[in-house]
Amino acid sequence: MSCKLALRNVRRSIRDYAVYFLTLTFGVCLFYTFNSLGDQSVMRFLAQNQNSMVESIFILMGVFSAFVVVVLAGLILYANQFLMKRRKRELGTYFLLGMSAGKVSRLMIFETLLIGLGALGTGILLGALASWGLDKLTIAMFLATPGNIFSFSLSFGAVGKTVLYFGCIFLVVTLFTGVSVSQSRLIDLIRSGRTNEEIAQRPLALAVALFLLGCVSLGTAYAILLVRGLLRIDLLWFVMLGLGTLGTFLIFRSLSGFLLRLTQGHPGYYKGLNMFVLRQWSGKVHTNCAANTVISILLLLAIGVTACSVGLNDTITATVGGQTPYDLTVLNYGREGIYEEADVAELFRNIGVDPDACFSSVEGVTVYYNDPEITGMPAAGYYAAVALSDYNRLMAGRGLEGLADLEKPIRTPNAIVNGPAADGVAVVPDEMLPLLTPRRQMVNICYAGNAVQVDDMVRMALDESEDFSAGLDIMMNYKLDNYYDLMGAKILVLYMGLYLGLVFLVTAAAILALQQLSQAADNAQRYQLLSKLGAPESMRRGALVRQVALAFLLPLALGVIHAFVGMKAANEVIHVMGHVDSVHSSLLTALFLLVIYGGYFIATCMGAWRAVREGKI
Amino acid sequence: MEPILSVQGLQKIYGGKGNRTQALRGLDFKVFPGEFVGVMGPSGSGKTTLLNCISTIDSPSAGSILVEGAELTRLKGKSLSRFRRERLGFIFQDCNLLDTLTGLENISLALTIGGAESRSVEKRAREAARLLGVEEVLDKFPYQMSGGQQQRVAAARAMVTQPALIFADEPTGALDSKSTGMLLGQLDKLNREEGATILLVTHDAFTASWCKRILFLQDGELYKELHRNGADRKTFFREILAVVSELGGESENVL
Repeated sequence: MSCKLALRNVRRSIRDYAVYFLTLTFGVCLFYTFNSLGDQSVMRFLAQNQNSMVESIFILMGVFSAFVVVVLAGLILYANQFLMKRRKRELGTYFLLGMSAGKVSRLMIFETLLIGLGALGTGILLGALASWGLDKLTIAMFLATPGNIFSFSLSFGAVGKTVLYFGCIFLVVTLFTGVSVSQSRLIDLIRSGRTNEEIAQRPLALAVALFLLGCVSLGTAYAILLVRGLLRIDLLWFVMLGLGTLGTFLIFRSLSGFLLRLTQGHPGYYKGLNMFVLRQWSGKVHTNCAANTVISILLLLAIGVTACSVGLNDTITATVGGQTPYDLTVLNYGREGIYEEADVAELFRNIGVDPDACFSSVEGVTVYYNDPEITGMPAAGYYAAVALSDYNRLMAGRGLEGLADLEKPIRTPNAIVNGPAADGVAVVPDEMLPLLTPRRQMVNICYAGNAVQVDDMVRMALDESEDFSAGLDIMMNYKLDNYYDLMGAKILVLYMGLYLGLVFLVTAAAILALQQLSQAADNAQRYQLLSKLGAPESMRRGALVRQVALAFLLPLALGVIHAFVGMKAANEVIHVMGHVDSVHSSLLTALFLLVIYGGYFIATCMGAWRAVREGKI
Repeated sequence: MEPILSVQGLQKIYGGKGNRTQALRGLDFKVFPGEFVGVMGPSGSGKTTLLNCISTIDSPSAGSILVEGAELTRLKGKSLSRFRRERLGFIFQDCNLLDTLTGLENISLALTIGGAESRSVEKRAREAARLLGVEEVLDKFPYQMSGGQQQRVAAARAMVTQPALIFADEPTGALDSKSTGMLLGQLDKLNREEGATILLVTHDAFTASWCKRILFLQDGELYKELHRNGADRKTFFREILAVVSELGGESENVL
């Protein structure tokens, strides 16, 4: 009987459940999408090429996923609480009709389970679609030549993981529901909706004092962060975190009393529904200030993570792009550490790769030991020297401008070979050469025709050959390897950032939406009274929008300030790897924020307005 | 004298085919400026429907309602809201005050919604509070006031905009006898001293005894009209009780 009633309840109160269902589905969908990355064709393709990045992507995904599950579990519990609050009267009626607590608990457990299963199924299905879309997008973004089969598939590993994790969450939620039902008192259930937060004028002095205290503790936290940097994790770091949270909390707690008293003296207070909106907001602020603190910290994380990942992504592109000017660089370390020149084209011919047909250019260059006494360049920063004429010849081969006559040695303006070997090379005047000892031969090769095919052929020939190097110590640096590495790093940074940023952002927005919607039902009576007093619809709607906007904007404002300071500290860290284009990343993050947070804002306004008009959700 | 409210042939039908309920069956009456009129009747007699129609919360099926010569049934949307906030004042049985606002703010709200000049709002609100004797609770929230104080604050809010008509729908329904006496005394004072026109709906004979004229409704029709004609309240109260028992008796005959 319970089962049947549960089914009918779910079907009938589909609107009540919509918010809860959407939150659940979203969580499942996001979780599945990112955990199925391992089975995505791009990742499989990268893994084929023994990409070291792929491994780290999976490890990090696992770590972050555990964290994300905790965040989502919190969100789902919050959403469930919201649902329970909406249905208190209904539960009361069941008790009144003589249902036992156990039976009502069972009924609720059935309902929760039904919704949970539905959300799990829908979420995984949507997740599979999203994963497929993400795969396509990744290919479009990173792969010049789409390889073999990129098809729609279900990742069983990810499905298993999703079911396991969310199964646990549902279990907790279900237990929570059962316990809270069996412990509820009939009188509270029947009278629910009439209980309001007690509103009292608090002394202005107290509000000001709390506000100042909040500002001071927040300022201290900022100072600690900026002076010590982001990554020195010790006791003081946790003190900073604690102070930051406390400061945020205090500011939210005192702000309403503070602002209310400030505006009360202003004539605008007695204008239209201003007074009503401000009171609505301040009346709920004590219930909401803990949630607001959580929201603004989530927003800080969302903004920070997104902006950093986009910034870092740009940095990686800029750094690596200039580092692989050739399709292949052959590094000849000589025989047993002693310099010995080789005819690389001939070596290739010996293993069956025709240099005339496969390569469009083969250009060798010799680098010399950097002797600081002769070149005047420090040994620490420069491991080698290259002659000006050689440098200019390489640049001319790439259509780049060379250097004019040198008075004294300088750092190479452009990379002379692929990879890290290009760093720390000084260009010296040709006259110095006789005084220096040759160190290494480096041969730059450009492929002719289809680079991917030639690359495959060269690697295959090298794999099969018995002795390509004829006893020489030879290393290869392929452009495609660098490219895949770069791609892996980009995917790692971008996906991690987007995954976490999205989770934080949506969680923050969802908490706000739930909070506002659950209050909208209480507000319905108030708005109906306003209507009876003759406030036209446009006026009432304006008041509601302003009320929701206050709820959305304040945590955002503090979150943005937090993020601004946090980003400053984070930039110091990223700066080690290169410069962050802050304008670009900020713009992208702002867009991201605008679309998702703004979307939630509009949806909440619409939902709250409907609730106010109909007197229920 | 021109009537402030004139109701002619008012009908209201609820429901559609098969389950029609005629709540009002052609009602005619007039209210003149400065009157304190009571509407009485048993449950289901159409009191609330009548009030809802006059207060523009609901629209009648047939007939006309004129307030100061303006035809209410033709007003729509914005002009309806405007009419409501400028010409009418309301006191309800419950859900009267906004729990998030103080007494002063609750009274001010009626003015700010009407777009009153914001500098004068507080002064006018305090003046209204003085008239109804609720100055001491102006800085309190509704939950800190007694039921009677809440209703008097609501009365202050209803009259602060100086409406043509004040509607009171069972204003004493949730009050104890002492608070009832105080509220009605203040309304009576408002009527006598400020010349406010009040239409009070109640099923309670004691409450009705404060009015100057009473309309009795039964089954959606005007059953009887009773004038006080300067009699004292006790006498009037007895007259009312007689009509009420008459009404009850008739319904017994129906059985």
